[in-house]
Amino acid sequence: MASRSVSPGGALLRTSRIFAMANPIPPPVTDSSSGATSFSSNMATLDFPTHQVITTLSSARKRGEWGLKRSLPLKTTLKSKIPMLRVKAIDSAEQITDFTSATDHGMNRRKFLELGIPLTARRPAGGDGGDSSNQNRPTLSMNLPQKSVFEKEIDTTDLDPDDLAKAIDNRWRFNGPWLAGMTTGKFQKYLEKEVRPRRPEFREFLKKKIAAELHQAAANEALDKGTEPPAPLDASSVTEDQLIDFLRKLRHDSQALYDMVGQFLDLAPLAPPNISQLGLPAGINKITWRQIKNPYATGGPPVTHPSAGLSYLRTSMYMDNHPIYGPQRQHPSVVARIVSPRRQAQTQPAKLGVAGFIVNTPLGDTTSNSRNNTLFDKIDPDVKGGAKVWVQPKRATVDSSGRVVLTVDDASAEAKLVAQELLGLATCLGTTRDERQTGRVESASQIRRRYSAKNAPAMSSTQNYGIQR
Amino acid sequence: MSSRQWLSSAVRQCKPQQLPRTFSTTAPVAAFRSLFGKKDNEMYGLLKEGLERGGPLSEAEQRQVMDQQAPRASIQDLRGRDVTEAYARQMPRRWRTGEVYAPRDLGPTEARKFRAGKTASRDVVDMFGFNPVDNYKNFSMISEFMTSMGRIKHSKETGLRPVNQRKMAKAIRRAIGMGLHPSVHKHPEILRRGRHGLPTSAIPTPETTRQNVL
Repeated sequence: MASRSVSPGGALLRTSRIFAMANPIPPPVTDSSSGATSFSSNMATLDFPTHQVITTLSSARKRGEWGLKRSLPLKTTLKSKIPMLRVKAIDSAEQITDFTSATDHGMNRRKFLELGIPLTARRPAGGDGGDSSNQNRPTLSMNLPQKSVFEKEIDTTDLDPDDLAKAIDNRWRFNGPWLAGMTTGKFQKYLEKEVRPRRPEFREFLKKKIAAELHQAAANEALDKGTEPPAPLDASSVTEDQLIDFLRKLRHDSQALYDMVGQFLDLAPLAPPNISQLGLPAGINKITWRQIKNPYATGGPPVTHPSAGLSYLRTSMYMDNHPIYGPQRQHPSVVARIVSPRRQAQTQPAKLGVAGFIVNTPLGDTTSNSRNNTLFDKIDPDVKGGAKVWVQPKRATVDSSGRVVLTVDDASAEAKLVAQELLGLATCLGTTRDERQTGRVESASQIRRRYSAKNAPAMSSTQNYGIQR
Repeated sequence: MSSRQWLSSAVRQCKPQQLPRTFSTTAPVAAFRSLFGKKDNEMYGLLKEGLERGGPLSEAEQRQVMDQQAPRASIQDLRGRDVTEAYARQMPRRWRTGEVYAPRDLGPTEARKFRAGKTASRDVVDMFGFNPVDNYKNFSMISEFMTSMGRIKHSKETGLRPVNQRKMAKAIRRAIGMGLHPSVHKHPEILRRGRHGLPTSAIPTPETTRQNVL
């Protein structure tokens, strides 16, 4: 069935903005919701957007036309240069459309796209597991090239319910909770409300498992003897005694029990406890477990898709080309704002701001970490707009709480100079900028006219490739 | 310290090529020596001259020596540190990695909001799933939910829902009624911890002879 015919009214509604608006997602968990005294602001920009950002064309915007139930007031919506709004309620009880500006997250996304780095998946805490020498050296695996979140084996969005358990190491979304992230009270409530009523269902689930196990054993035996393979067993043929025996066996095998419960409730994987938590070295204690390879086992599964919809780039392994200097070794360097200085008395490290995200200062043996670099230590009110440094964005991942963790390095001197020259802040190779050209602002139509001249410079476009005529 | 002593110690300090260092062949040390060698040689000559002359250095010479010897942390640096502290105090927000900011978040209006702490908005009893009445002997818990004058805190401050607030109040009254907890101040153990500013386990308990007697 290609498409269902709908009434003209229905078709109109279906293409309308009202129907296209996504439902808001729950806001990030803040400190104020965690019981303890907290320092926070209810007006601060959230760690991730909860509402869809909508925009409109400039001509429609001048009329207050945003595709909503009623036109929006011009006085507020025309004040900003950038048409980005978030609508909290299309129609409230007071018969108004509740909207606010969404330039904070909207512009941050644009700035992030300018960085040109893909979002990568987090690596498992104990290394990748393949090479045993890497296992206890997470810093080593941190510096390895990361995998894009859109790689086929990681990007599991639509799975068959029977394959859920098989893909446990690569999944990021689970139907059940992440038990390590629950408080005692919440866990008790979960047991009472969701787990206890499902007891009979769990017994049926176990019976199915026993049937599969028995069938496998019988099939193996038949294979050894060279006889006909037996017909698959039905779960109803498993007796109560068999089930009780199986339960007794499970009680003495913590890993098998966890596997069964985890599969049944589709729990998010848990990292096995380490020695400091157990108090016993691995050889001595009674509990045995399998190594978990899921990267989200230690910090909990992410609240969104691991790309957070920020960027759909798959790799940063491409070369940037400069019109004069040719291919560049590094991606363009960017300016980072020193958002808060390093304060040794409060053991507070300096924080940088890159593309609207708070970032740690570069790690390792870099010039910014040298002892005589006092840039991160002080606030100089004479510097207009605050102190800034040039950095090289390295990679970005989304952590379990939905925050984007960007990693930056120091910008190399050459990359910084080239980037500065493009902005007109520096000159390379003794070139001087024409003063008349520098201040001149060309309109879009002027640029278009320049390039539509008879001897226009060769540029690749859809026309060159014969895609469009 | 006489000027003569001061001068000779200064000579010792900036003597350019001390014997053990001469044999150091590691690249960084060699580079360091070549970098600062010239300046030190000059000063060494100046001081040597003064010593040979037998008298103290002239005022201009003393200033020259002091300028070269003074640590680089100047008054300007100290002033810069004061300015930094003053501005940092106006920006109480502790930024965490991955947080998002827009220009508005860096302004004074938002910064002011982070100065005042907000009280709990969640019910800790529900969160940790315990019954306060069962824990009436837990003096840390009891002290947490009473004021320094021994009054039961209002639910506005504790953030407990009415059911749990009543249970907590009952636990406090019970502890006081049984004589387990003082009624006009917090538990002495808690007060002691507050005085030391240390966790209770870190404070040595005074040894009483009665406890040691079987």
